[in-house]
Amino acid sequence: MLSPPRNPGRESRLVHLLRDLGADVHRGERPCPPAPPRPTGLAELDQMLGGGLPRGRLCEVAGPASSGRTSLAHALLARTTQEGHLAAWIDVPDAFDPASASTAGTALERVLWARPPDAAAALRSAERILVAGGFALVGIDLAGAEVSGVAAASLTRLRRIAAGTDAVLLLLATQRIAGPTADLAVEMEPARARFSQRPDWLEELEVRARLVRNRTGPTQQVVAVRLRVAA
Amino acid sequence: MPDLPLAAEMRVHPELQERPVAVVDGEGPRAEILSVSPEAARHGVLPGATAVHGRAACADLCVRPSRPALVRAAREALLDAALGVSPRAEPSPPGTGPWAQEAALVVDAGGVGPLFGSETGFAGALAERAARVGLPAVVAVAGSAGVARIAARRLRDGAETTCVIAPGDDASFLAPLPLDLLGPDDALAQALTRFGLRTVDDLLRIPADALGTRLGASVAPLLALARGTVREAPPAVPVRSDFVERMDLEIGVDRVEPLLFALRGMLSRLAERLDCRGLAFADLELRLGLDGGGRDARRVGIAAPTLDVAVILRLIALSLESRPPPDCVLYVRVATEGAAVRGDQLDFFRPAGPTPAVLSRTVAELTALCGSGRVGAPAVADTHRPDGHALETFRAGARRADDRGVRHTGHQLTLEDAAPSPEPTALAVRALRPPLGAQVRSAGGTPVYVRSALANGDVVHCAGPWRTTGHWWSETERYAFDHFDVQTSDGLVVRLRFDWTTRSWQIDAFYD
Repeated sequence: MLSPPRNPGRESRLVHLLRDLGADVHRGERPCPPAPPRPTGLAELDQMLGGGLPRGRLCEVAGPASSGRTSLAHALLARTTQEGHLAAWIDVPDAFDPASASTAGTALERVLWARPPDAAAALRSAERILVAGGFALVGIDLAGAEVSGVAAASLTRLRRIAAGTDAVLLLLATQRIAGPTADLAVEMEPARARFSQRPDWLEELEVRARLVRNRTGPTQQVVAVRLRVAA
Repeated sequence: MPDLPLAAEMRVHPELQERPVAVVDGEGPRAEILSVSPEAARHGVLPGATAVHGRAACADLCVRPSRPALVRAAREALLDAALGVSPRAEPSPPGTGPWAQEAALVVDAGGVGPLFGSETGFAGALAERAARVGLPAVVAVAGSAGVARIAARRLRDGAETTCVIAPGDDASFLAPLPLDLLGPDDALAQALTRFGLRTVDDLLRIPADALGTRLGASVAPLLALARGTVREAPPAVPVRSDFVERMDLEIGVDRVEPLLFALRGMLSRLAERLDCRGLAFADLELRLGLDGGGRDARRVGIAAPTLDVAVILRLIALSLESRPPPDCVLYVRVATEGAAVRGDQLDFFRPAGPTPAVLSRTVAELTALCGSGRVGAPAVADTHRPDGHALETFRAGARRADDRGVRHTGHQLTLEDAAPSPEPTALAVRALRPPLGAQVRSAGGTPVYVRSALANGDVVHCAGPWRTTGHWWSETERYAFDHFDVQTSDGLVVRLRFDWTTRSWQIDAFYD
């Protein structure tokens, strides 16, 4: 059997092209590397998390009021939407402030904001959004909301659906509610607020973030994050 | 559609398909039978007889009164099926004599070849769409509407549902057919029978002048039809109207569940009609006829066009549960304008989101879960009011004209690809809606102690006040606040305000 004639010029161009593309090209039989985590935009936190929040996983951020949970969520929303992705924010306590999110850099037109009446409806809403696909971040804000109706089975189901997607599933709560269902859990607590003296002005809030659960890496690391009041 | 009253009844009650059914005009035992199902005809029940005669011939006969609302909806559904395959379609005048119950549509088949491959493909597609809307219609394609109608009548009792007469073959197709298929009036039919003319071919053998002399001018249209030389204007493009389904309930309903059961069937039928036209449900108008003559009309908002009946039903259920009908419901009417599901131009440089159809369905599902006006894209309200916010229709990232990325320069609009200026470590504000009442002890107008459901204790740090006023000309909307950023001894940093209109302290947000 005759082999097809070789074209040295074309092969050379192909070799150059493959070299230029570098690591973006993989051989078909090799497994693709896992998608990189999605950075939160808060440098100290990203460093602790190994680059950001993992995709297709249930991540839980818990903490009391003024502990920086919402700032973390806004930073993630901003980073996600600035990259052109869509994000969904499921807001049970109706606490999302568009002006504040916009200041953090969120492209509001890429955010789907849903305000369900209770936690159970919030989980069902998240399920619908994950099944629809195309959203890089699905945030469920249960901080300050009644969470006694949240069944562990619902969270397990949600986590299983998220595992088949490229989305970060973020759960915001006052206290940890996902328990072992969460792939990653961060507990936040307020440290101190700094006010300038003359004139009186709230300048920044310092918070501490502790990585308390991580299925794929070490835990119990603590970082301090400074959150500044935007001008 | 050979038998519209029967088809309209079967469309709503498909469980009657295999049963002997007679549709009667009016109520009572003396009501005249308009049409019968094949099973009833096998038992000897004939149109024209009375209901009591029909029952005598078939003891199991199911007698249903003809309901104009169902017939009208079936007629409109047939038109929707036709408009799904051609832009021009219109109802034909009703038939006479044995064809009195038929419903015929004239559909323009000109230029449909590239879409359906052939006229046979066109006829098949039309019959398939009619079946989808619950109406087993027969379709005939011919050079004129009159010949096509005759060809369709020939299909009435056969197994075939489509018939295509090749161009120029109209006359040869008609030649062997009996004359009564052409639909002559009674006097003309009697005269033709008296002359011994039985088929179209018999008629065409007689010179036209001789026929005209003996039978008068009324024979001319019959001759033109028999020769296949009728010239007709193409059917008109119909004026777009609402899609309506109405159902009279057999017994009054005073609970939501049975009402939803009836609505499910109506919505399914509407969904098929809309799908035929390439549309989806837009806002719904639901009208309930009440016992005592009252009426309950409501509008059910749908966030994005969708064909998902379960979602629409959920939205209606929410509306009915929040405001139940005040009395027993006797009839239900659902109407929608129908809207096209949005297309989407993918951006080459941005990640792809969900498809418009999936997004529409998802937004509608979320609206059903969260309630109307609680799903959308957040927006900064055009107001100086500190707690102002807005909700817009979510369009999966479509830029707004007032975005920061869009810069107005004189009369020109320049689109910048610059993203909003990022503040990655910005401290976020968490809103409290409605604001939380607080008991505050102040010294010289500055808070020194706060007691509330959120923050409690001595004020450790305080910044402010910042005064905001607006809408002073409106009695109901005016506002005047003195805002303070306050840290209490329990560690919380809250946004405290003194409302000058109510002269009370409130916490409208906290830093988080």
